[in-house]
Amino acid sequence: MTTTPDRAADPSRSGLLLSARGLTKNYGRDRAVDSVDLDIPERAFTTFLGPSGCGKTTILRMIAGFETPDAGSIVLDGRSLSGVPPERRPVNTVFQSYALFPHLTVFGNVAFSLTLRRHSNVDVAARVKRALDAVHMAEFGDRYPHQLSGGQQQRVAVARAIIAEPHLLLLDEPLSALDKKMRGHLQIELKDLQRRLGIAFVYVTHDQEEAFALSDIVVVMNKGRIVQRAAPLTIYARPANAFVADFIGAATLIPGEIIDGGGASGSAAIDTAIGIMQCPAMEGLAKGDKAVLAIRPEHVRIGADGLNATIRHVVFKGDRYLVEAEVNGVILRFLADNPLTPGANVGLVIDQDRAFITRID
Amino acid sequence: MALVFHRAQLAVPVACMLILGCVLPLAVLVVFSVFEVDLDAFTLVPAFSGQSWVQMFTNPVFAFLIGKAVVSGAGTAMLAGFIGYPIAVSMTRLPVLWKGVGSIVLLTPLYTGEIVRIYAWRVVLGSEGLVNAALKWFGVIDEPLKFLLFSPFTTHLVLLYNNLPFMVLAIWISAELIDKRLIEAARDLGARPIDAFFKVILPLTTPGLAVGVFTVFALAAGDMMTPSLLGGTSGATPMAMIDNLFGTAFDWPLASALSLSLLVILFAFATGFVTILLRFDGARAVFRRGAL
Repeated sequence: MTTTPDRAADPSRSGLLLSARGLTKNYGRDRAVDSVDLDIPERAFTTFLGPSGCGKTTILRMIAGFETPDAGSIVLDGRSLSGVPPERRPVNTVFQSYALFPHLTVFGNVAFSLTLRRHSNVDVAARVKRALDAVHMAEFGDRYPHQLSGGQQQRVAVARAIIAEPHLLLLDEPLSALDKKMRGHLQIELKDLQRRLGIAFVYVTHDQEEAFALSDIVVVMNKGRIVQRAAPLTIYARPANAFVADFIGAATLIPGEIIDGGGASGSAAIDTAIGIMQCPAMEGLAKGDKAVLAIRPEHVRIGADGLNATIRHVVFKGDRYLVEAEVNGVILRFLADNPLTPGANVGLVIDQDRAFITRID
Repeated sequence: MALVFHRAQLAVPVACMLILGCVLPLAVLVVFSVFEVDLDAFTLVPAFSGQSWVQMFTNPVFAFLIGKAVVSGAGTAMLAGFIGYPIAVSMTRLPVLWKGVGSIVLLTPLYTGEIVRIYAWRVVLGSEGLVNAALKWFGVIDEPLKFLLFSPFTTHLVLLYNNLPFMVLAIWISAELIDKRLIEAARDLGARPIDAFFKVILPLTTPGLAVGVFTVFALAAGDMMTPSLLGGTSGATPMAMIDNLFGTAFDWPLASALSLSLLVILFAFATGFVTILLRFDGARAVFRRGAL
């Protein structure tokens, strides 16, 4: 992409590609997006993650120009996008349903944006070939969309969206219609493509594994607001509140009260139904605050000196067994190498250095 | 026992009706066209005579009438296409409730019956009609406009009015079925609204356009009442001629020959139009997608 080095070299932009302030969108009386502030760096893979209806797709559509914000602004490349129609934004989209033109061949679909700009036929053919090569679809140029599998259609949709060398590529749950294996393949390909092209990708998904596999930055959304914006590892290990902890992974959330520590210390003692635990804590929590302790399956192991637990359910997961055990009315989940018998009593040890205390909201 | 049909078997009732109602009468026409008439006995005489066909091909009035029907039909279909297209596309943008209202309004004139509509047009377009009266009142004209009634203009205005709903409905359904995300995708890829129209909407609505053209052409070319009651001296049609030949003139062989010739020529033209329209990629893409 010829323009990327120039833009990266320009110090006035300091690596910031897109910035939105106070972005708001209402549908009737529902507030889909609620005064969102957002910065998207150049060349990064940013993912909006959240349950359906959290506003992530609406933000994407406002960036693409399909929706007009009710309030707020979007600045891309230092220029305001307000009033700029979709066709004049340096942004392209990969749609959830691919939205390939059924009356055009793969070649016709990929060449669509170039043919609108009156490029020479030779130039078009060469660039289409390059774009199709990039998604491993070079030999399918003559096919029609209905002759392709879902995964192949998806690749064509990506080729069509990158051929005009957008500054920003928007992807709206592009893999959600595919089976698990194909999804895994294409995740790797997309990540690889993003690195090679150096284009910033903004990706929307409700699948946290996908978000973690692909992203440099994950933006977790809920009810039209951004809840946490951080690197995948931080989101996982240091969820900003109970919603993030619950949405990411299979954490057990145990409410309690901070009885010691907190503040800037990074660690606190919390009094919960399963006892007092000394764990890393979200900044800003103070003694006396209500908080939640998030315990993930990998933080729990069987040990003779642990909490007294009763096995409730055992689910075979292929490589291991997911076990649900009850401690004083609280269900804890953990992974075991051997099947345990429901009803049996075991001791459970909590890894208090890795379980995390976070805010309720 | 469960009733299970192959898809092809579902076509059996229609096929039976087509054979009984269309192929059989046509065969009868073919047979009649080579018979002779005994005017003294007032009967058809079975024979194998080419007399009616010779008349058919030598007397230019028949070719003229058929040609006139083709031009009328094609002209009406083309105008209906141009006028109906924007109406149909704007209907897709209406809220659901208004789509219902729109389609009812569109079809209301069809419930009134042709004769009522024709006399209504006479009231509107006549020398003392609404249009002339209004133009006079506003001082635009001094003498009533004569061409408004009993002229080819009248005929085609009313043919267009009568048949426009069929064109609009066909295009509307076709446009309604276009995935809105395709338009967004086109815009996203740099298409202005006008580009999106020519590159996505128009190709994908050609099936509707084809159905509309086929229907309006057939209805307009085959209409007899509108030209004869509103076209004045220009109102001669092959239909009226056939009616005459079967009835008053009692020349069933010639009537049969004219009917068959008209049918073949109208069918050839209609097939030609539709074939051209369906050659576009858009039409092929739509028909390929068939869900059943």
